[in-house]
Amino acid sequence: MGRILLVGRLAVRDLRRRRLETALLLLAIMAATTTLTLGLVLSEAAGDPYRSTREATNGPDVVAGVGRSAGLARLEELAGADGVVERGGPYPVLRARLQTSGGAWDVQAVGRRGADAPLDRPQLVRGGWVREGGVVVEAAFAAALDVGVGDRLTLDGEWFEVAGVAITAAMPPYPEAFCLLACRADGEPADTGAVAGSAREAVRNPGLLWLTEADVRGLTSDPDALGYVMNLKLADPDRAQAFVDANLRMGAQGAKGVPYLLSWQYILQESTELAQDAQVILVFGSWLLALLAVASIAVLVGGRMAEQSRRVGLLKAVGGTPGLVAAVLLAEYVVVAIVAGAAGLAAGALTAPLLTGPGTGLIGGAGTAPITVSTAGVVLAVAVAVAVAATCPPVVRAARPGTLGALAASVRPPRRVGWLIAVSARLPVPVLLAVRVAARRPRRLALTVAGIAITVSGIVVALSAGAGLAAQRLAGLYDAAQAALLGQVLFIVTLILLCLAGVNAVFLTWATVLDNRHLSALARALGATPAAMSAALAGAQVLPALAGAVLGIFPGGAVLLAVINAMNDNGNDAALPPLWQLLVVVAGTVLVVAVLTALPARLGGRRPVSRALQAEV
Amino acid sequence: MNDTTDDIADESTDDAAGTPVLRVRGLRKQYGAGEGMVRAVDGVDLDIGAAETVAVMGPSGCGKSTLLHLLGGLERPSGGQVWLQGRRIDGIGEKALARMRRTDIGFVFQSFHLMEELTAVENVELPALLAGRSPRAARERAAQLLEQVGLAERAHFLPSALSGGQRQRVALARALSNEPPLVLADEPTGNLDSAATVEVLRLFESLHRRGQTLLIVTHDARIAATADRLISMRDGAFVDETRLGGGSTGRLGALVGLED
Amino acid sequence: MHQEVILAMLAKEPSHGYQLRARLREALGPLGEALNAGHVYVTLTRLEKAGLLAADDTDRSDRSDRSDRKVYALTPAGQQRVAEWIAEVSWPKPDLAQFHLKLITAAAAGLSDPLAILDAQRRELLRRLREAQRAAMAEPAHSDAALLLEGIVLRLQADLRWLEACEKNWTLRRNRS
Repeated sequence: MGRILLVGRLAVRDLRRRRLETALLLLAIMAATTTLTLGLVLSEAAGDPYRSTREATNGPDVVAGVGRSAGLARLEELAGADGVVERGGPYPVLRARLQTSGGAWDVQAVGRRGADAPLDRPQLVRGGWVREGGVVVEAAFAAALDVGVGDRLTLDGEWFEVAGVAITAAMPPYPEAFCLLACRADGEPADTGAVAGSAREAVRNPGLLWLTEADVRGLTSDPDALGYVMNLKLADPDRAQAFVDANLRMGAQGAKGVPYLLSWQYILQESTELAQDAQVILVFGSWLLALLAVASIAVLVGGRMAEQSRRVGLLKAVGGTPGLVAAVLLAEYVVVAIVAGAAGLAAGALTAPLLTGPGTGLIGGAGTAPITVSTAGVVLAVAVAVAVAATCPPVVRAARPGTLGALAASVRPPRRVGWLIAVSARLPVPVLLAVRVAARRPRRLALTVAGIAITVSGIVVALSAGAGLAAQRLAGLYDAAQAALLGQVLFIVTLILLCLAGVNAVFLTWATVLDNRHLSALARALGATPAAMSAALAGAQVLPALAGAVLGIFPGGAVLLAVINAMNDNGNDAALPPLWQLLVVVAGTVLVVAVLTALPARLGGRRPVSRALQAEV
Repeated sequence: MNDTTDDIADESTDDAAGTPVLRVRGLRKQYGAGEGMVRAVDGVDLDIGAAETVAVMGPSGCGKSTLLHLLGGLERPSGGQVWLQGRRIDGIGEKALARMRRTDIGFVFQSFHLMEELTAVENVELPALLAGRSPRAARERAAQLLEQVGLAERAHFLPSALSGGQRQRVALARALSNEPPLVLADEPTGNLDSAATVEVLRLFESLHRRGQTLLIVTHDARIAATADRLISMRDGAFVDETRLGGGSTGRLGALVGLED
Repeated sequence: MHQEVILAMLAKEPSHGYQLRARLREALGPLGEALNAGHVYVTLTRLEKAGLLAADDTDRSDRSDRSDRKVYALTPAGQQRVAEWIAEVSWPKPDLAQFHLKLITAAAAGLSDPLAILDAQRRELLRRLREAQRAAMAEPAHSDAALLLEGIVLRLQADLRWLEACEKNWTLRRNRS
């Protein structure tokens, strides 16, 4: 017990002594865990809200519809088919043109009576149920229209008021909604309507409205313009797809007025398609961020360990075993990781509703997907694993040396890379110093290269995904709102990645500056100008950044894209961005790193010389 | 002393006779302000002629290291004037200071301050490289200097493989890399044992004989005793000055009880 | 010069006076220059009278000097004396009290500034140090004489350090009053 107390106290003391580093450490792990949380929440959200919506609205297992009243008899037959235990409807459906002050949309108006239907009772998010002259708008569509309760709109020229906003499980949210009526441009109802979604191009992503039956019928004088939709509940919901397949096969032989059928599984899949795309982006982003976090933590911890070797020697001198020493050193970072992991979870949980909440159209579920125990577990485990992975090598190195050696040697001696030193003698002074500064710490050099490579490969993927998004939008796979939303997710992940990479670059430079205090002071005492020294300290980051940027494109970005393509089975393979973009990325990376490192390097190059020299080395 | 006149270039002979290598007037350096103000260097006047070796002695904290850093342009004075070879150097820009350190001054430090990852010869050639000499010229000069300090066969050793005395000899060779008119040494024997001290003393003596102008701050009486002139420093100011040159007292025997 | 040194030099083998002088020179290096040539013979004669050594002047080869012709050897009493001397642990006492009292009395009577006395004394010691050091560096390394000179240098350094301590103390005293 006493030992645990000691370990804890020592760890907390040390953290408090270095607030800035601790804060940066927290930030790095938090960025990774927040993104990971979002990714995981979305993956749960992809399924869960639909299920909860289905439960709350008593959603149907199968939705059946016909394009004209002539098919009503077939619907009646279906209602009597084997396995059907309950039915709702049929309800009349009319295709109409909706007009608000903001523009015009194609809509499908479903006529409903009271709110007490046996199946598919749309859950009101705001306002009340349909009444005469009052419509209820599907939540995602309402968000896209930007209308709320009390707003007025026209349907085929007649005025209505928005009575409420609701969600349903019988239809994927806008803009994924499919046509209940065959949506043909000429208004001719489809005869078979086997797969309703295939007619999507005909009417542009219809929105869903609920009206009173009387209002629907009142909108048209032609009874044949009306279609009908019916909801069915099966004895075994899991067999819904089989039911659809069996009854469709029958229907395919008939000609006109044959109903189409949709299983709830199909609706689920359609509802969550977008969420899955976003999830791929977020999960990939979070893994990249985790890698980047490992790199920055490794730098931080490595730098601290060098300073701590004397402390380790003291601990050992007073009787600490290597195990205790390792525990003290590890405890610090594990504590930080847990705090950062929890903060990341909280941040992720707070931001998740922005992407998954009802009305955003992404999922349109009831409520936000909760953070499950498994999500929390995975995020915390990743946070701790990141910290431990980055901390282990330096901890082992620090805990291993003899007590006397640790007490005597305060600083990890720099490495000698003979050929680099020889080559650098031929270069101009700032480059000579930069190469030698960089070569003193090969491990940090590798981390710099790796960090930049990870970031650049992330940027390459983001560029490629952005281009893919635009292409898919042109192909009509996404509409503007969807593309914007996915673009936003992409943007946020890329932004976090860039921020972390930026913090990382500043970090590395500062660690280099601190590490080379003595070298800079000495070089200046021997006649290097402050400008040359600053240039050297920045150059020690910029040169590896250049290498990292190139490696980030190939193999980094190329491999990552290949992996994503292998995981995505939607057939839209992402390609490497064009050469000019890649060149801009490399040049931009070098420029940004140069700008970010300029200030710390300038500070480092101008530190007073005499103090650094007087400090015993 | 014949070597001395050879070393001085023809056109500067007048200068060397007239202008001291280093001239200091009213040099001050203070830290902090008000009650807590510390006067590290408090009104120092000093002239060092060509080929002269001057030692500044005093207890630790008397301001002698600060004085050296001020003279070498590693720190800025709070007041006073410094001329190096007739040129004012207090108040010149950082860049000009760097150039001055590169060509006009060689530093020797108590803790050697060699770069651990560079071999002896790479350490010695560094100032020449910083001064923009060609790699070949820098290497040749470095090899020659290492020969001079008796470490030619250790040119490719890392500092960690050298003894303390050898490291300081490498540092001294490095200080001479750009043939500076003035060498400033800060406790050059402070980290050395008695035998290594003798190694370094011999080297300083031979430098002195070759006409190198030297300023040594130290509290080691042994190296101070090699100087032509010895200045005692207390509380940031010079309090006593002695010329140590002159004939033998001839009474060494009395020091070991050989005479009564 | 202690008589016992001369006695101990004869413990190896009987020797002529000039041989003893040569051996002394070798051991003392430049310090041996200061040795008075007659000093060895005076000591030898004194020791012979005391019965600690015996002189044999049978060898009459080429030397004209009477003392130089003699070969000296230890008597049993002389051998006994040498053994006692080797076993002795006495050590020369540096006379610090005298200088210490000089500072105190000078300050008390206002005769002189103790710091000025200290400066003068330090100058003197540094001159000696410079001389001893020069002599030491002129000797080949690891020679007997270099070792002796190193001893002088180290003692002078110790004395200088004591002067430093005195200086600190007297500066403090002056500042306090």
